Formats: sequence, structure tokens, C-alpha cells
Amino acid sequence: MTQAAPLIILAGAIAALLAAIAIRRAALIANGVAALGLLAALAIMPAAASAPPIWTSLFSFGAAASGFIALILAASLLLLIIAAAYWPTAPTLPPEEFPLLLLIATIGACTLAAAASFITLFLGLETMTLAIIGMVAYPRDRPDSAEAALKYLILSGMSSAFLLFGIGLLELATGTLSLPDILTAPGNPMTLAAFALIGIAAGFKLSIVPFHIWVPDVYAGAPAPSGAYLAVIPKIAVLAILVRIGAMPGATLPPSAIQAITVIAMLSMLAGNLLALQQQNLKRILGYSSIAHLGYLLVAILAAGAVGHVAVVFYIVTYALTMIAAFGVIAMLSTAAVARDADRITDVAGLFWTRPALAAVLTLALLSLAGIPPAIGFIAKMYIFAAGIHTDLWLLIFTMIASSVIGLFYYLTIIIAMTQKPLADAATPLRIPAAGRLVLTLVSLAVFIFGIAPQPLISLVKAMFG
Amino acid sequence: MSLILLLAIPILGGCLAWPAERVGKTWPRTISLATLAITLAIALPLLHPTNAAWLADLRLPWIPAFGMSFHLALDGMSWLLTILTLILGMFAVAVSWHEPADKPGFFHANLLWSLAGTIGVFLALDLFLFFYFWELMLVPMVFVIAIWGHENRRRAAIKFFLFTQGSGLLILIGIIALAFLHQRQTGQLTFDYFALLQHEPAGRFGFLIMLGLFVAFIVKLAAFPVHVWLPLTHTEAPTAGSVILASILLKTGAYGLLRFVAPLFPIAAHAIAPAAIWLGVASIFYGAILAYGQSDLKRLIAYTSISHMGFVLIGVFVFNSLAWQGVVFLLIAHGVSTGALFIIVGSVQHRLHTRDLNCMGGLWTDLPKLSSFGTFFILAAMGLPGLGNFVGEFLILRGAYPVAPVATIAAAIGLIPAALYSLIAIQRAFHGPPDPARHTHDFGMRENAMMLALAAAIIWLGIYPQPVLAVAAPALSNAADPAA
Repeated sequence: MTQAAPLIILAGAIAALLAAIAIRRAALIANGVAALGLLAALAIMPAAASAPPIWTSLFSFGAAASGFIALILAASLLLLIIAAAYWPTAPTLPPEEFPLLLLIATIGACTLAAAASFITLFLGLETMTLAIIGMVAYPRDRPDSAEAALKYLILSGMSSAFLLFGIGLLELATGTLSLPDILTAPGNPMTLAAFALIGIAAGFKLSIVPFHIWVPDVYAGAPAPSGAYLAVIPKIAVLAILVRIGAMPGATLPPSAIQAITVIAMLSMLAGNLLALQQQNLKRILGYSSIAHLGYLLVAILAAGAVGHVAVVFYIVTYALTMIAAFGVIAMLSTAAVARDADRITDVAGLFWTRPALAAVLTLALLSLAGIPPAIGFIAKMYIFAAGIHTDLWLLIFTMIASSVIGLFYYLTIIIAMTQKPLADAATPLRIPAAGRLVLTLVSLAVFIFGIAPQPLISLVKAMFG
Repeated sequence: MSLILLLAIPILGGCLAWPAERVGKTWPRTISLATLAITLAIALPLLHPTNAAWLADLRLPWIPAFGMSFHLALDGMSWLLTILTLILGMFAVAVSWHEPADKPGFFHANLLWSLAGTIGVFLALDLFLFFYFWELMLVPMVFVIAIWGHENRRRAAIKFFLFTQGSGLLILIGIIALAFLHQRQTGQLTFDYFALLQHEPAGRFGFLIMLGLFVAFIVKLAAFPVHVWLPLTHTEAPTAGSVILASILLKTGAYGLLRFVAPLFPIAAHAIAPAAIWLGVASIFYGAILAYGQSDLKRLIAYTSISHMGFVLIGVFVFNSLAWQGVVFLLIAHGVSTGALFIIVGSVQHRLHTRDLNCMGGLWTDLPKLSSFGTFFILAAMGLPGLGNFVGEFLILRGAYPVAPVATIAAAIGLIPAALYSLIAIQRAFHGPPDPARHTHDFGMRENAMMLALAAAIIWLGIYPQPVLAVAAPALSNAADPAA
């Protein structure tokens, strides 16, 4: 047993999946192999965590990294099931490659989360990004998806260039690529420039202002399961590495960086919520909303310390659950064969009367995003407030309050649209696959139960930081 | 243990009422009424003679990571408000006995959940738990307004939601800051009411925390100038929703001021008292004058609530037990009288399909029972001596005079516009020549019984207020004027 067991199992699953596809193309087999791989990797996590360390110059599988990997694996599994329920509605598309791309992206995300060197960091990031581009462009006859994939490809390429340039400068200045060594090396102007470049790349992946321009188009163009993956997994992985770096010795932000992040956080919160106000497309709204939520997360990151770290992880768990629920509902309402998903507000209007269960799940997800009990989002928001107040970040806290109030408006608009009675009783017969029901039930139960009794989750997250 | 039942039964009842609509259209309302009756049967015996300040107390661990506990407790004031909530909740169910036609199960589930949240607000003594219930009572009410409201319901629901939620965030920030401040002073992180009572957060910071809570609570109370959500919301909500909003939810604002702002921040609350008292006076006049100008009967009643809550605001911030007893008394009397008025307006709208006073007139000829009850409750709301509201307002003014004589005189003058809008409402709605084209039926058995019960309650409160005052007094004398 080694600490890298989950990664090894994932790599094995990818090989097995390739072989399975070569032998016989069947959606059930492909999805089954991928799901088993993710499950096995998840199941081995507790045993792997107590194993001796391995490849320490490239990876660091501490409690924090293991926690993030478990989160990535669990979220990927849920998204895989949603995808498995979504793609059969498009009979012309081959269903087998999607789970393969998803597994590859997941192994990239896990690598990134556990990286201890810029080599693994960059490898993980690129593996993840390239596979996600494939996932976004998967419905090849949808022009919007092709456009979204191209947009994401070009901007990802650009951010990778920034990242590589930054890594190069760091190597030049310090002579090493190992994260702990670089952090403890004496700073000079070159490292500062390097970190600024790397920060831009991270900002792009986290989709915070001013690196957010791509978000609404890509979210809206991507098919719902890919959009969900894009909204959840890269953010977890990038935050994982940021939180881990933040917890390393020598990782103190200079005052100028703190000021810059403060401004970015405030702009993200306000811009995300303000731009969402006029949108009519649910996926665009979720995209803008994610910009605002990353702004909230930056507050917790700035708060740092014990409360701050737990707040970040608690928030990202909440965000993942909620986004999976919201995108899951859109995926279940949509048909992959037509040119666009059922992602407009008019598509969910009257949902309470036609499909009350889906409406309830979406309502719970929106309440969670808005931070209202009994959804988990309320506890998460409280956690960020607590972290911010604890460290006297009053400017950020009041910006967060103001933008939360703005945010309430568009969440509520969607909820109220769902409650309005449809004029004609034209409930299209829509069969929701059992797999989709399973995921939505699981996710909404988690959102609800952890919203009422968050202590177990808090204890779990606290364990990640010793 | 029975405190948990007070919350659990309405919540479970809601979960039962929702699917029950599949069994039959009448099941949800029966379940709701039964649920509330059972809860009432549990709540009533909780009042027992005792020397302790609290009638019941229950503390369970909830989120130990933040020192938050599931702490419920009951004293005379919260007992009275809980009973008010349950009884008026039953009236809200009874008034919508034949409606709504659409999704009655979800409607009743939302009513029950909102009531459960309100009871939680009245019982919670952990500040975070209090806030949790504070938020919880809101969402179901938004659904009630948004789904079953009148023509402008979308806007009303959004406005209500934004105002209460936005101000709620001030409470959240306030209590977290309060708890951390307490932690800095004592080293212990807790949200428990009794622990936080020990140390008043001093200085500017304490004042700001108090201000946040104060603003949030007067938004809920709908005092001038943060009342703007109230007229639209109360007008557009369905009758049951208006009854709950006006009779119960408004009271949570006053309760928050009495229970939290005054005892937790004695010095800071005294500092803001003059401003609060004059805001109260402004509310009295503003509400009365705008009520006078309304042609929509429901809107008129909504504005009168602003006026009455002005008295409540004055009473809270003069910090003496006489005025505080008056506040609790007025909360109950106003709950009963305004609830009755909204039921009557709902009946008028049901019969005439309008709330416009210009289309009314002469109702007394066509609907004698409805009109006489209407007149009675308008006079009660106006503060006619011998009826409940008078006692509350009198006690407030009596308690306020030694503290703030000028403001008290101004508030008392505010009773004159109250008489004006009351009489004009009676005259325009009920008097005058009847409309010959109007074919409608008067109150039936169910409505007569409801009205008689509420009228009896208002008369009893008016001529024999002592029992209610005796229940409320111990809770208030303990909390009142610690700084005086």
C-alpha cells in the first residue's frame, strides 16, 4: 500500500477503460469501468492515508491533499453518473469516450491537488484542462459547444503560457521547482514577478475578476454534465493547491498582494452578482454566480489561519454539492440530441406544477447558493463571515453582504418563475433515469442534512488540517 | 422536551399535509388544524406557577465547533407569543378553508413551516439558533406570497424576501461579532444568550453591533423609514398569509428588540433610545396619514400596522416594565384585531372581487354581519377604550410619559389621525347607498364563529387584562432597566 494508491488505481482504470472500449463499445461497460475505478480509488483513501510517503519530491499526500482528492473523486463519481444519465438521449454520439475523458480530467485534478513541485502542478493542470476541452466539445453537432471549447482552449493556452513563464522565472531565481523550497527561498523582484504571473493563471482557473470573461459563454455552451464538471472540479483542484501552499511554512503574502486580492475579491463578488441580474440563461447565471462565490472564497483565503482554512474547504464542499445539484437538474431536464439544453428560465417556469421533485431540488440548490437555511450554503456563508470577522476583514464582509443581497434577487427570480402556474398544462412526458434520480437525491440530502447538522462535516474538514 | 415538540409537530405536520393532497383535497387543511391544535394543547400547560424566571429550558449540543447549542427556553413573554402564533395560525387555516384550489397541500405545509419557524424564533436562546429560525420562517412565507398571492405577487414576494433577508444578514454579522468579542473577553466562544448577557460589548464596536440588530429588527417591525416592504407584501399576500404576516411575523421584530437588543446592550440601547422613540412617533403619524389616503382597503389596514408598531417601538425604548407590559399586550391585541381585519377584507374581496373602497359603500345593507364585525374591529384597532388595543397603548403611553414626555404627547396626538382613518374606512366601506347590482351572501357559520371568537378575545383583553399582564410581568421585570 502506498499513499499514491488512488492515483495508481485511476491510471489503471483509464487503461482498463481504453481496453474495454477497444474490445467492445458499450455505454454500460464504459461507465461501469469508470465508476468502479472512481469507487475503488475512493475506497482505498483511508488505507492510503496511513501508508508511508512516496515520491516526496513530486507529491505530498498529507491529510489536506488526501481530503481534497477524496472530494474530487466523490464529485467526479456523481458527475459521471449524471453524464451517464444524460448522454443516452443523444443516440448519434458515441457514449464511451466521455467517461474516459472524465477519468483523465480527474486524474489530472488529483495530481494537481497533491502536487509538491511545479512539475506535477503543471502536468496535472494541463491533463485536466485538455480533457475538459474534449468534454466541452463532446456534442460535436452543437455549434455552441464547439465555440465554448475553442474559447476555453485559447484562453487556457494563454493562462498556461503565463504559468509556464512564471515557473521558468522561479526556477531561474531559486534553482528549484519544489514548492516548499521555493517558498522558503529568499525573495527577490524576479520571484515576485513570477508569483504575479502564476497568480494570473490561478485567477483564470478560478474565474475571478478580471479573468472571468470566458465563464458565461463556456458554461452556457458546454453540455450540462461537462459544464458541471468545469464548474466544480478545476476549482476544487486549484483551491487545493492554493490552500496547501498557504499552509506551508514561508507562505506569507506581502501587503501589496493582500491588497490586490482584496480588490479582486470585492470585484468578483460584485461583478458576478451584478452581471447575473439580467441573465435569462440558467447556466450563465450559475457561471456568474460561481464568479461571486469564488469572490466569497477569497475572503476566507485572506482570513487564513485555522478558521479560514476550514472555511475554505467547507465552502468548496458546499459549492460542489450545490453546483452538482443545479447542473444535475438542468441535465435531467435536457435532451442531449437537440441543439441546446433546457437552460433558460422559461424552461423551468412552472416546474413546481409539472415536476415538483426537480423543482424542489433546484430550489434547495438555489437557496444554498443564496445562503439560506436549511441549506448547507447558509452554514458555509456563516463560516466565511466568521473567518472574516475573526480577522477583522470588515471591508470585505460588508461587500459580501451587499453582493449577497444583490444575489438574492436573481436566485429568487428563478424560484418564483418555477412557482408560477403554467398557462397550458403542457407537461411534456419526461422520463428521468434512475441514475439521475439517485444523484439528485443524494446531493439534495447532503445539502439538507449538513445544512441542519453540519458538525460531522466540520469535524471531517477539521481533520484535514490536523 | 415538550419545547422540541412545539417545533417538531408543526414541521412534521407540514411534511404530512403536503402529500396528503393526493389523498383528498380536504386532507391538508384538516391535518394543519389538527397539528396546530395538538401543538396548542402541548403549549398551554407549559404555563405553571413558578419562582424561576424560565418556565422551561432545554439545551442540546448542536455545532460545538462554534459553541452553538440547540438551546430553547420559555418565559411568560415567549409563552404568550407562542400561544398567539398557534391560535392565529389556526385562524389562518380556518380562513382559507375552501382555498386554495391549487396545491392545497403545499400551501398548508408552507403555513405550518412558517409558523414553526416563528415559534422557534420565540423559543431560541442561542443567538445563532435564533437566527436560523429567523431565516427559516421567511422562505415558506415567500412561497405563500409568490404562489397564492394576488395580482402583483411576484414583486411583493421579491421585495419581502430582499428586505428581510438583507436585514437578516446584519443580524448574522452582529451575532458573530458579538460572539467573537465575547471570546476575546472571556476566552470562550459561545452564542448562548445567558453567557452573552454577562458582558456588554463596550464602546463604538458594541454600539455598531447593536445598531445592526436594531436596524434588522425595525425592518421586521416595519417602522418608518424601513417599512417600505410592508404595504405591498401585506396587500398582495393571500388572506392567510396576510394574517400570519401582520399578526405574527411583525411581532418577531418587537420580540427581538425586547429579548436581545435591550438586555444584551443596555448602554448602547439607551444611547439610541431617543432616536428610536422619535422613529416610533414618526411611524405613528406616517402610518396613520398614509392609511387615510388609501383607497385599497387591504393596503389601508397594512398602513395602520405601521402606525401601531410605532407605539411598540416607543414602548420598547423607554425601558420600564410598565411600558414593556404594554408592548407585549399591544402585540397580542394587535395580532388579534389586525388578524380579524385581514380576514374581513379577505371575505370582502372574496365576495366583491375587489378591495377598492370606491367600489364599496353600503355594505351594511347587503352584508350586515360582515359590516358590523368590520366596524367593531376597526374601532378596536383604533384603540377604543374597553377593547384590547386601548390597554396596550395606554400602558405604553403611561410608561413612556415620565421618560420622554414630549414624544409621548406627540404619540398621543397620533391617536387623532387614527380616529380619522378608522372612521373614514368605516364610512366608505360600510355606509352609504348600497349597490343594487350586488348579489352576495353574508358571513356563514364558520366565519361567524371565527369572528365571535376573535371579538370575544379582544373584549376580554380590554376589560380584564390582568391575567395576561401577570403572565408577562415576571419576564419583563427581570429584563427591564438594568442600567437605570
